[in-house]
Amino acid sequence: MAVSPLVPHASSVAASSSNAGNKFENDSGINPPNKTKRSSSPQRMKNPDREITEQLNDDVRHKYIKDKKLGEGTYAVVFLGHLRTDPSSFVAIKKIKVNAEYKDGLSMDAIREVKYLQELSHPNIIALHDVFSSKDQNLNLVLEYLPRGDLEMLIRDSNIHYGAADVKAWMGMLARGVWFCHENYILHRDIKPNNLLVAADGEVKLADFGLARSFADPYLNMTHQVITRWYRPPELLFGARQYSGAVDVWSMGMVFAELLLRVPFVAGNSDLDQISKICEAFGTPTEENWPGVTRLPNYIPADPNHIVPLQGRDFFLRQFPTAGPVGADLLMSMCTLDPRKRGTACQILQHGWWLAEPKPTKKQDLPRKVGGTKKMGDDLTRRGGELDDTSFKNAARQLDFGAARD
Amino acid sequence: MIEDEIYRSSSQFRLWSFTEASLKQLRATTNSVASDRVRAALRRAQDARRSATSSTTGTPAPGSDAENKAAEDKQIECLTPEEEQQVVDYYSEQIIQLGENYKPPLPTIVRATAIQYLRRFYLTNSPMTYHPKQIMPCALFLATKTDNYYLSLRQFAEGVPGQTSADDIIAPEFLVMQSLRFTFDVRHPFRGLEGGIMELRAISQGQGQPAPHLQPSQTPEDLRRALLSLSPSSATANTMNDRISRAHHSTREILKAAAQITDAYFLYTPAQIWLSAFLLADRPLAEFYLDTKLGGPIISSSSTNHDQNPLYALRTKLLTTLANCSALLQAYKPFASDEARMKTLKRIVGKKLYHCQNPEKANIAGQKRIPAAAAAAAAAAAAAGESGTSESEMERLAKKRKLERGSETKDLFGGELVTQRTKERQMEGDQQQ
Repeated sequence: MAVSPLVPHASSVAASSSNAGNKFENDSGINPPNKTKRSSSPQRMKNPDREITEQLNDDVRHKYIKDKKLGEGTYAVVFLGHLRTDPSSFVAIKKIKVNAEYKDGLSMDAIREVKYLQELSHPNIIALHDVFSSKDQNLNLVLEYLPRGDLEMLIRDSNIHYGAADVKAWMGMLARGVWFCHENYILHRDIKPNNLLVAADGEVKLADFGLARSFADPYLNMTHQVITRWYRPPELLFGARQYSGAVDVWSMGMVFAELLLRVPFVAGNSDLDQISKICEAFGTPTEENWPGVTRLPNYIPADPNHIVPLQGRDFFLRQFPTAGPVGADLLMSMCTLDPRKRGTACQILQHGWWLAEPKPTKKQDLPRKVGGTKKMGDDLTRRGGELDDTSFKNAARQLDFGAARD
Repeated sequence: MIEDEIYRSSSQFRLWSFTEASLKQLRATTNSVASDRVRAALRRAQDARRSATSSTTGTPAPGSDAENKAAEDKQIECLTPEEEQQVVDYYSEQIIQLGENYKPPLPTIVRATAIQYLRRFYLTNSPMTYHPKQIMPCALFLATKTDNYYLSLRQFAEGVPGQTSADDIIAPEFLVMQSLRFTFDVRHPFRGLEGGIMELRAISQGQGQPAPHLQPSQTPEDLRRALLSLSPSSATANTMNDRISRAHHSTREILKAAAQITDAYFLYTPAQIWLSAFLLADRPLAEFYLDTKLGGPIISSSSTNHDQNPLYALRTKLLTTLANCSALLQAYKPFASDEARMKTLKRIVGKKLYHCQNPEKANIAGQKRIPAAAAAAAAAAAAAGESGTSESEMERLAKKRKLERGSETKDLFGGELVTQRTKERQMEGDQQQ
């Protein structure tokens, strides 16, 4: 099902010609075209610097034509492009800039994004059709073209009206994408509305894998400096170095809440402020409701005079009436403080809310917005972990790799 | 969705899995293309030299060109695909050694990923084109990045012996990534082994979960009793635990070396690899484990008729595959323990490879920005036979190679240096303690 590369994409021609065609043809070996085999080919003598790998790369590069620039950031430039053989099959070509300051070769963001997108093929995850290098050694990612902007745009635009059925449709697509990542042992670690792009047919796609990583083996540490602050779960704010897919589920819960309220639900302006806002909203973490929390490295003991009791179902129902009682229950399971008690992506998908009324809106009937192309350009050039609002820029980018190995 | 489907969508399956025949075919093609290109490059270098001499003496070179070329081609003896394999195997082993140079040593996974990068790289590149001693450190550094074991390039370079600078290490990075076709994920057999060991331990405690299709006829207690009665029979749970630990350890050792330095990853899935290694480590235990999944003697003890096990055909097929993979793993011998192989290798790397190294590819760092254009220009200039600069370029490269050879005669492979440095460090460490 999900793995099939033949799932119709917005630019299905590009998808099938790269994912299905190119990648499967290799059973017969990565053989170069016949002409290279003929040792005395005059063409090869004229063009003597074509190694097999360079030729393979050229073949990929020649499949696409770059059109206009869609966006430019410090990290990347995004172009609109199309298949040479079909001018109507659009793609987004993300050209990653060689960072002169980064002397250690290709940056971790780029490596992560390429590594994980190469392995993931799912309708709710942005498709990486191809990767090629241009002759100045720039990395070009050929991505699925998603012209309808992102969820953040829809949330913020007061001219756009949407209801519970629409939220259910968007959340369903998000949950399936996240589930698929976790099923492949990959943590996304930067889920937020502006990383959820919208395809021409209304399908929501999880994008920006610059902070992703595979699950660590048991007992190995990971960095806690990930996920944009407003969407960061309490265990990471407390400095947990061993965590699970539950971190992404918390972010999903925050996106869910934001879709319902149309403003970020817990928007701290510092990590400390984020913790106190989470405590006020959901309750103060204690050894009773979260065994082991006080032993986390950056745990801050709560003021004994200001302990907020853990919020129950009625709180969520009151705060999020649009979700209905079943929806409030789902949100509550995503926003459980103790990551061990939080729902897993799989449990989220099995929740009763998806079957309850109202039914999710069909994707072609979802509210839409024009001008998404520019937004896609902006979204794809931004680095992971950044908030668009510069006053809230946080330190999630400074990944603490040195400490991560302890 | 089942695990097989997930594996089939992986880049390891899509791009890096082969049959024995297709693997051989691919290597033969790579070898023949590289041989042609090496001969052409060496000829260009010779032409450049000759035209330089003839322009100084003012007399044309004697003899017909065609004759000369034929004679030269004879002289240039290229590596065979089998010889290339030997060289790549040797440098794969060196990655394991190099990983020991760091404090703490680089994780097994990082080294294993690097070895697979190196082996994937040499499926479409020849050691004659890019010498593995240049590619090996870069593959290892790239693996530290892709496997989340972050070291700065400077830190990393400190662990690489000899005069290899940080720039030398990073220079081929783009070339390596391109040859990997920008797929960085390597699926290893280690995690599967850990899972299998955990399952066996649970079974020995009477907490094993029978496979869903074998329930309810099979209980955790049945499993425990069957495990404890394995031959050679071990009566207690304690001795069984020791046996599992020993099997775990030996399997890991096979996975760390034999599975890496053979074609196992190209030919088999991670699950097949660890099960094959497990069979070599403790056959009765491994067979018992397979039976818990596929049925077998445990459930057919009442009825000896194989047809009653619906998975019988699958089981037979799997056992054949595992037997082939086991044979591949068992045939592996490290260079250090195989004098004859080491001697052959010294001949290949020290003499043959030295003479058939592509001179236009020697300086990867210099080609870094625009390799194609630079090399094409150099080649064009050389072919035209007019440029004094190209001649000096050739001379420079020759000198460089000579210098490299100078250091190589002392330490041909860098291998001894690695161990030497490790020893020194160990001594330092001893003194500090």
